Formats: sequence, C-alpha cells, structure tokens
Amino acid sequence: MTIGSVFSLEAVYVLTGVTLLIFALMTFADGANPRRLGSGLFWMTLGIIFVFGGVAPHWLTGLLVLFLVALDGFGQVRRGSSETDPVEQAEHARRLGNRIFIPVLAIPIVTFSFALIFRWRGMDVNRGALVGLGFGGVAAMLACLKLTGGNARALMNEGRRLNEAMGAVNILPQLLASLGVIFTAAGVGKVIAQGIQQVIPANNLFLLVLANCLGMALFTIIMGNSFAAFPVIATGVLVPLIITPFGVNPAMAAIITLTAGSSGTLMTPMAANFNIVPAALLNMRDQYGVIKFQLPYALTMWSFHVLLLWLLIKIS
Amino acid sequence: MNIQDLFKLAGVAIVVVGLALRLRTTLVVVVAALVTGLVAGLPLFSHEGFFQHLPYLTKPGEAGVINALGKAFADNRLITLFIITLPAIGLAERYGLQEQSANLIRKIRAATVGRLQIVYQIFRVLHGLMGIRLNGHPSFVRPLIFPMSAGAAQSSDTDSVEKIKAANAAAENYGNFYGQNLSPAQAGVLLVYGVMQGVGLMVSVGDLVLFTIPIVAASIILAVIQFIRLDRALGKMAEAKR
Repeated sequence: MTIGSVFSLEAVYVLTGVTLLIFALMTFADGANPRRLGSGLFWMTLGIIFVFGGVAPHWLTGLLVLFLVALDGFGQVRRGSSETDPVEQAEHARRLGNRIFIPVLAIPIVTFSFALIFRWRGMDVNRGALVGLGFGGVAAMLACLKLTGGNARALMNEGRRLNEAMGAVNILPQLLASLGVIFTAAGVGKVIAQGIQQVIPANNLFLLVLANCLGMALFTIIMGNSFAAFPVIATGVLVPLIITPFGVNPAMAAIITLTAGSSGTLMTPMAANFNIVPAALLNMRDQYGVIKFQLPYALTMWSFHVLLLWLLIKIS
Repeated sequence: MNIQDLFKLAGVAIVVVGLALRLRTTLVVVVAALVTGLVAGLPLFSHEGFFQHLPYLTKPGEAGVINALGKAFADNRLITLFIITLPAIGLAERYGLQEQSANLIRKIRAATVGRLQIVYQIFRVLHGLMGIRLNGHPSFVRPLIFPMSAGAAQSSDTDSVEKIKAANAAAENYGNFYGQNLSPAQAGVLLVYGVMQGVGLMVSVGDLVLFTIPIVAASIILAVIQFIRLDRALGKMAEAKR
C-alpha cells in the first residue's frame, strides 16, 4: 500500500463509512429509540454506500439510495434519547477551560494543512482539503480522547447523538447534488434556459444576472431551502446563460448565487426552523416578527449579490 | 419549445410543490429525480450486466435513471463527509464545549443591545469558519443572548422587548447563513462543488471560500448599520416613555 492510497479520498470515505456502521450498531442496541430497527438500517445502509460506493455497481447503489429514502419516507428514522447532563458539562467546562476548543480547532487546521501539502506536492488542492477534512475528523477524535480521558465508546455515542439529532436530512445536500446530475442528463436545464432566452436577450448580462439571483431567491422563498433551489438555478440559468457564454469563473458565480438564495431564506416563513420557531422560542407576540426585522436587511443583501456578481463579471 | 420539453420540468414542479407542502424532503427529491429521468425517456436500469435481459426496465444503449442516481450519489459522498467530524464535536460538547462558549459570550462587555448583536453575529461567523454546524436559536439565543440583551436594554416595555427578540434571532441567522461558507467542511460549499462537478465544471473549494469573503464582509457591515439604528430606535422609545 502506498502513501497515495492511504491519504486518498476513497480512504476517507471508508473511514466515514466505518463511523456510520458503528453508529448503526449502537442504534440497533438503543432501547430508547422508538424505531431502532429502521433507524439502524438507515445509517447502516449509508455506511455501506460510503465504504463500497467506489466499487459497487451503480444500479446497486441506486437501489440502496431508494431504500434509504423509503425508510425515511415511512417515518422509520428516529433519534434515541441520549441527552447530556448540563451540570456535568458545566463541571467539565470549569476543569478544562478553553482547552476544550483544541480538538474542535484541529479539524480546520488539519484540513488546511492537507490542502497546503497537496499544493506543495503539485497534487489536486481540492482533494487535499477533502482528505484533510476526513483525517482532521480522526485527529480531532484522538485529541478529544486524550484531552478528556473519555473512552472510545462515549466518543462514538456522542457522535451518534449529534448525527441522529440532525437525522435523515443529513443526506439531503448529497441527494440534491444527485438531482442536479439527473436534471443535466435529462436536459432540464436546457428547457429552463430556452424559456428565459425568450424573455431576456442572451447578451444582456445585467438582466441575466438579475434573473439568476431573482430565480434563486424566489425558489428559496417557495421551498424554504436554498440548497434545493441551487441545482435548479445552476443547471437552468447560471451555467448555460452566464458561466458558459460569458466565460465566467464558475466558483465565484456559483457561491454568490447560493447566498443570493440565503437572502431569500431570511424572508420566508417556509424556513420555519430559522424564522418561525425562534419567534416561538422567544415568546414573541408576532410570529412573523423575526421575518419583518430581517426583511430590509435581506432585500439589501440580495441587491448587493446582484451588483457584486455583475461587477465581478464585468471587471474580469 | 415543444410539449415533450415542458414535461421535463415535471421534476422541478415536484420539488417546488413537495417542499412547499412540507412533504418529506428526501422522498420529494428522489421522486423528482426518478420522474425527471423517466419523462425524459430514460429506462429504469442500464442495459448491461445484471438487468440485460429484462424487458421494459432497460433500453439498449441508454443509461438507466437508477444507475445515474447511484453513480451521482456515490460521486457526491464528499458532501456528507462532515459526519466524520461528529464524534469529536459530540464528545467535546459533553465535556463542556457549549458551556465554555457560553462563558466566553458572558465575558462580552457590550454596552448596548445593538453592539451585543454585532459581537454575537461575528461569534457565529467564527463557528462557520471552524466548520461547526449549529442551530444557535435554542442553544445560545434563547438561554443567553436574549437575557443578556434584555439586561443591556434601557427600557423593558413590550414594544422594545419585541424588537430586541427579533434582533437576537436575526443576528443568529445573519451570522449562520453568510458565515458558513467560509469553511470547506460546510454543506453549502460542498454542495456547490458537487453540483458544478456534475455539470462538468471543476471549481476549487479554495475559490469558493475566497469569494465568500466579500459577502461575509457586506453581511457584517450591513448588520452593524441595522443594529446601530436599532440602538437609536430603542433609545428614542425609552425617552418617549419617560
């Protein structure tokens, strides 16, 4: 085995898959989870996809994805009830102080170091950052164990607690990126692009940028989720009408388009977790009070996105 | 544009309607993917290997939609890579990570409500930079930022308190939404990376983070303006009461 295969993306996927398989075993044994079989199967299947995704036939991975989604669709993915004790946390905080930040900071430091090492050795920097993220997670685990004197079982159980707290929506961004691929294969983007071209002339950069950011914000407002809007707008507007014809830096245009959607998130009751639930948590009289406060800010931020994207394309 | 083309938008319609109706998001997205592939004339499975002799399910020479889904999902495993960071963050939480963060916030000597929101927003941007995903509303805003803000306020009439609460929630959202793309470990950056790769454009995660910087800068400057104006409005409301 060479150094290259140890510090590879596939190795990091296997490590993540093994972590998920350990979570799954713990979930199967968790009497506090009302759906421990379904939940365990969900994380086990995801773990299997992580370990074998690089070598398994695609039809099998595809069927496993359908199985994952069916488990979630039938409400079989739930969380256990492992809460940590706040008194215990306060005691540890007094004892460890700011040292508790060391393992957490290890993650970005290792990620960044790997990216630098990959660049220095003339390899793909993106790959370096992703591989670094994986090994950063492992380094943080070791640092955390050493610092706290905790055991490996507690380590995995706490990871499982966080993972289950987020639940099945954990895989949503990965599913959305896959949806984008299918949209591209089916030519959905072309249809949207043709529709927009009937209204906006192909050489009017400002109107295209405006339509791109407006589409992103409107889709986000309707769906309550900018991540869901992104593959639609990226394949239908951003890439075919702006990036390709104008030769724009795709990273710049894409990340600005994504946060143009975040401005939409600030305006919509559909993003209940961020806008409606907090109003309830704070016992506000007006359940739309948070949105009303955010509205002028969100509109200004959105306009800034339009201008920034247009200007950056103009000057480049 | 012909009718066949318009049908291709069925998947987009399913995502929009499904999420607007608050149906299970994972299910909506995968159904949209399958329907999009099928109306575009793709078979369920590729005509090779295991399914070669099955009629209806395959078409010679065409990639199947389930194969495409499986390949795309496997190729995009990088987006969900953050799961490997959860054990360390979880154990650190058990050993007082949030408690110690709260201790740091309590040390903030912000004279006014507005300044406290600015400091909290920057604190949340730093979370994004470190790659920590967190819903701060229940863990920081309700137990900590709201009581501290109420303590810093000059008046406690209901209108002022309502405004302060809205500002607390907003500071959390501003810091979280715009700050999170500062780390390649965050879902937003990885989603963009994955989607762009899917359409055949290689982008660098470093560039994605780099172009987030002007956006974060604007998000903070704009918030400073809004929160300073909030301080003035609260001051006026307190004077009017006297």
